[in-house]
Amino acid sequence: MAFTRVNSKLVEARVVPGRRMFSQRGAMLAYRGAVTFTPSITGGQGGVMSMIGRRVANEATPLMIVEGDGLVMFGHGGHHIHTVDLTGETLYVEADRLLAFDGSLAQGTMFMGSQGGVMGVMRGQVTGQGLFTTTLQGKGSVAVMAHGGVFELPVTPGRPVHVDPQAYVAHRGEVRNKLATAVGWREMVGRGSGEAFQLELSGQGTVYVQASEEKL
Amino acid sequence: MTHGEGPVVHDPSTLPSDDNVNPYAFCVDLDGQWFLQKGKMIAYYGQIDFHAIGHGPLDHLVAANFHSPLHAAAWVVAQGRGKMLLADRAYDINSYDLEDGNLTIRSGNLLAFQPGLALKQSIIPGFLTLIGTGKFVAASNGAVHFVEPPIRVDPQALVGWADCPSPCHHYDHAYMRGVLGGIRALTGIGGTSGEEHQFEFTGAGQVLLQSTEQLMPAADTGGVPGSAGPGVPGRP
Repeated sequence: MAFTRVNSKLVEARVVPGRRMFSQRGAMLAYRGAVTFTPSITGGQGGVMSMIGRRVANEATPLMIVEGDGLVMFGHGGHHIHTVDLTGETLYVEADRLLAFDGSLAQGTMFMGSQGGVMGVMRGQVTGQGLFTTTLQGKGSVAVMAHGGVFELPVTPGRPVHVDPQAYVAHRGEVRNKLATAVGWREMVGRGSGEAFQLELSGQGTVYVQASEEKL
Repeated sequence: MTHGEGPVVHDPSTLPSDDNVNPYAFCVDLDGQWFLQKGKMIAYYGQIDFHAIGHGPLDHLVAANFHSPLHAAAWVVAQGRGKMLLADRAYDINSYDLEDGNLTIRSGNLLAFQPGLALKQSIIPGFLTLIGTGKFVAASNGAVHFVEPPIRVDPQALVGWADCPSPCHHYDHAYMRGVLGGIRALTGIGGTSGEEHQFEFTGAGQVLLQSTEQLMPAADTGGVPGSAGPGVPGRP
């Protein structure tokens, strides 16, 4: 069940009985048919423990459950929307960038330190991801919000990609992710290039980059 | 639009005629009169005068085409010949043609209209109705998407509607039912989905939807130097 792109800031999703969707609260713009919107107390999938996990990790974004039979149009805040179709792999994304996703995807929370220890935590600080990030795994579609248009950069073994941490949106696949610093004496005296930190992504997968350095 | 080339330079002969220059600016090929909201004109070529409504030589025109005393102070009549560029804070701009039709639009979104159309206040507060034949220009936060009824629309995402589908409020109380709903109603735990209230449209017609639920904030409409906003010289 993929999202249909209406324009760069608006997607349409088909809701069928028995398959729920999650979306950010307030992101529905219009709908047709018998569709209900229920606030999700636990902020997504899993039980109360998952909810506590998300609250502690500060990855609890207000979500609602979309169920029924009909068409729903989603858009939020004038942000550009990019849809990602997952076929079994994992998408790493900040929870507040999630506009809507299929209920068939398993939602989890990952500690940034689990990828690279202290440098992972440091990386979270620089990208604004914080200590934790959200993972979505399985078969299904995700609509991700970004400031400016989104483009995909493939990451292949031996060809790492460097991304400005502020322009980083999400990544998927078997991608290792490390913070490359180029801090020299110029940065120390405040005459830096402004590009002292870069994310280096290597492995096999895709990284999603937005055409802006402004966070959501 | 071309990519990878330098900026496009326009002169009076290459500016489009009653069409978009880019997604955020519209060019009116003026020969006669247009009504426009104050402050939406960004540039013009030619000989154009702007007359305030109610104090000009155009009382006859205003009497025939402008029926909204509430908005009279925010509108002017542009008269003359030339090319006039319209824009509104880099929001998406589109023009629409009405042929012996009617369209109701959020008052802040309407930029300009041809005198073939008559402007009236809608009985729904905050909306204006255009009746007749002609072209009008409107802004929206994100591109406009046309949908056909039956549909329910987030109140903030609604730009307008045409050909009289019957607009009404729809409240979704289903989520308040049951044990969990009761707890939610009593304690507020769990919050609301933010989607309990929509505008419902049924019947034949078109509904105009913008791509986000953020309204365009109300803007000051022009002013004399000193009282106008930033960017206008002559502030005390």
